[in-house]
Amino acid sequence: MSVSIAKQGYSLGHGHHEDAHEQVIYEETRDMRLLGFVLFLCSDVVLFSAFIFAYIYLRTTVAPSWPPILDGHQLPRLDTAFATVNSVVLFGSGVTMHYALENFKHAKLRGFHGFMGATVVLGTLFLCGQGYEYAHAQIGGWSGNIFGASFFTLTGMHGFHVFAGVIYLLVLWYQASRGVYTQERYFGLTAGTLYWHFVDVIWVGLFFLFYLW
Amino acid sequence: MATLAPGVKTGPYHAVLDHIHPEPTSFIRKYIFSIDHKVIGYQYMITGGLFFLIAGLLAELIRTQLLSPNGAIVTAATYNQIYSMHGSAMIWMVIIPLVTGGFGNFVMPLQIGARDVAFPWLNLAAFWMFPVAGIILFASFLWGAPDAGWTEYPPVSLQGPPGTSMWCAAIFLIGISSTLTGINFIVTIYKMRAPGMTLTRMPLFVWGQFGTAGLSFIATTALAGALLALFLERTFGVPFYDPKHGGSPILWQHMFWFYSHPAVYIMILPVFGIISEVLPTFSRKPVFGYKMIAFSTVAIALLGFSVWAHHMFTSGMVPWLQLPFMIITMVIAVPTGIKIFSWMATLWGGSIHWTTPMLFATGFLITFTCGGLTGFFLAAVPLDYHEHGTYFVVAHLHYVLYGGSVMGLFAGIYYWWPKMTGRMYNEVLGYWHFWLTFIAFNGTFMPMHWLGLLGMPRRVALYDPQFQFWNVFATISSYVLAGSMLIFIYNFAMSFRTGKVAGPNPWGARTLEWMISSPPPYYNYKKIPAVLATPYDFGNPLPYIGLEAAAGAEEATPTAESHPVPTY
Repeated sequence: MSVSIAKQGYSLGHGHHEDAHEQVIYEETRDMRLLGFVLFLCSDVVLFSAFIFAYIYLRTTVAPSWPPILDGHQLPRLDTAFATVNSVVLFGSGVTMHYALENFKHAKLRGFHGFMGATVVLGTLFLCGQGYEYAHAQIGGWSGNIFGASFFTLTGMHGFHVFAGVIYLLVLWYQASRGVYTQERYFGLTAGTLYWHFVDVIWVGLFFLFYLW
Repeated sequence: MATLAPGVKTGPYHAVLDHIHPEPTSFIRKYIFSIDHKVIGYQYMITGGLFFLIAGLLAELIRTQLLSPNGAIVTAATYNQIYSMHGSAMIWMVIIPLVTGGFGNFVMPLQIGARDVAFPWLNLAAFWMFPVAGIILFASFLWGAPDAGWTEYPPVSLQGPPGTSMWCAAIFLIGISSTLTGINFIVTIYKMRAPGMTLTRMPLFVWGQFGTAGLSFIATTALAGALLALFLERTFGVPFYDPKHGGSPILWQHMFWFYSHPAVYIMILPVFGIISEVLPTFSRKPVFGYKMIAFSTVAIALLGFSVWAHHMFTSGMVPWLQLPFMIITMVIAVPTGIKIFSWMATLWGGSIHWTTPMLFATGFLITFTCGGLTGFFLAAVPLDYHEHGTYFVVAHLHYVLYGGSVMGLFAGIYYWWPKMTGRMYNEVLGYWHFWLTFIAFNGTFMPMHWLGLLGMPRRVALYDPQFQFWNVFATISSYVLAGSMLIFIYNFAMSFRTGKVAGPNPWGARTLEWMISSPPPYYNYKKIPAVLATPYDFGNPLPYIGLEAAAGAEEATPTAESHPVPTY
């Protein structure tokens, strides 16, 4: 090991053995990355909040009626039943991701691979469901009116996050199968899980705002 | 807990602080794509300085146009583009990158006793977004620059030239850079302080960076959302802002000011930090009310989020909302006043050394206070009805941004110049620079107060002949202001050639960065020192342990790889 550490003029709280020292450096780096990653997710929440604010503002203070009237026709509400099924798919992928991480922590690699695969499949299924919904939504298209604008922009941004998340999970899965992570050092998987839960939480808000309100 | 002596606690020891990256040897990795926070700091300052010159020339074009009421230097359409670009560039490409990326990068890790920021590669990426964003912004002149002012209110910005979309892209990119820097700085300050440096032992400049980092990573993505929506509406016709398609231009104003009011504090909190370093050093006195200055920084940052709509009193907002926004805006004067009075009390009875940074810091106190007071005027709803959209607003914002941020930046650059280069500048030229700046600044912007009160609208290429005298006065003053920059550039250029060698601590300052050689070595500290108290107790022994041991003791050496431990 080529680690060369400045010896402090006072005693350290940790052992001087190099492995122990390595572990300390790992843990401190991990804590820093965790904080940084959580802050990144917070700023991403603000990005969504900006568009959610726009949607609420347009719907409550600008639109005379909701759903709006386009060319003399009252636009229909969105298909709540289908979206509910699709939401269950996404939330299910959150559950499988949780178990993937738990299995990895306890070195149950078969379970890890199974749940990881399930997460990726469910995430992809959700995206297909969203594509189907986009094709069948009768709300005048993306650039037709403020309903379409806020719906397609917000769910599109969320869908992009899910898409990026699926790619991200595939990379993590590949790395895990190459043996990059160990049961002591698996911060990458923690970050991936956090990101996936973040995508779920955003969807809870969007589901309420577009389908139940 | 590492114990130094019985009963003296220094807080947790962070092994990660001791990690040293290998020093790069190739030119490109050393000077172009460096991950060293000091090099990145210089890069921000050089890039921001160049953009400052370009945006300053745009300002001189504006002033030249206004020499005559029927100014015919440029057409009205070009004039719109020039003032829009001047404002956008000065705020996003000059002041914000300089106060956070420039001074934050160079000074903050040194002041907390760290070897680098938490995520050096992220820092590198954030820096390189900056020149790219600047080039996109200035290149928009080729296709027709944005012409709706730096605020780009729709529907005018929806009909603006193609460069408006490039403006969106450029500001979006610099916003990402600013967000990443904010995240990086929060983690650095929170996790990488030297042992014993508790939050209330941090230098006040670090507090300023802490507040600003919090504002940037929360607020900037709100602007990103607004810009994305504007871009989508301009490019694909997705209706958010256009009333013709059911959108609302007021929506943009809410989203824009939710970022852009905190941006005012992003631009000023680090400068407050600079002033809080310069004043005690040259008064040879502990800073008055350390904790009050530190906590008022946080108070300003928090309150800054809840006042954005005071920019919109005349935009047709719900009337009952105006009162709370007016009151909270005025409440911000309280923490700001705490700072101003604490600084004055720091000067009181001090042994004052009139160096150039000290002159700029005291000049800042005067001009910034003037700007703060006119802000109080503008916050009052009835007065705002009269002053909104006039030159009074232009005067106010230049008093806080030029008289505040830029004067503070000058104080900072004169203060840390010996640390950055290892050489002194010429003090006499520094005096000339200060006095010309101070007089010409007031000459340029003071008349705008009464021009605005008399009803001269901002952002108009032609004006009523009755305003000509004070416009000519302001323009001539602005030429002197630009001329004073030549002294500044000459002074620092000569400093490289003939400047006296500064030594580690030419000012007798007490924060950590002055304890090591100038310019600092690649690893900053041979040993990470332990910190026992705030740095400002002039007259007491220095509160650092471990620095003295550095000379004879075994030195820190870099690792062969940049990450000795796999940290996935």
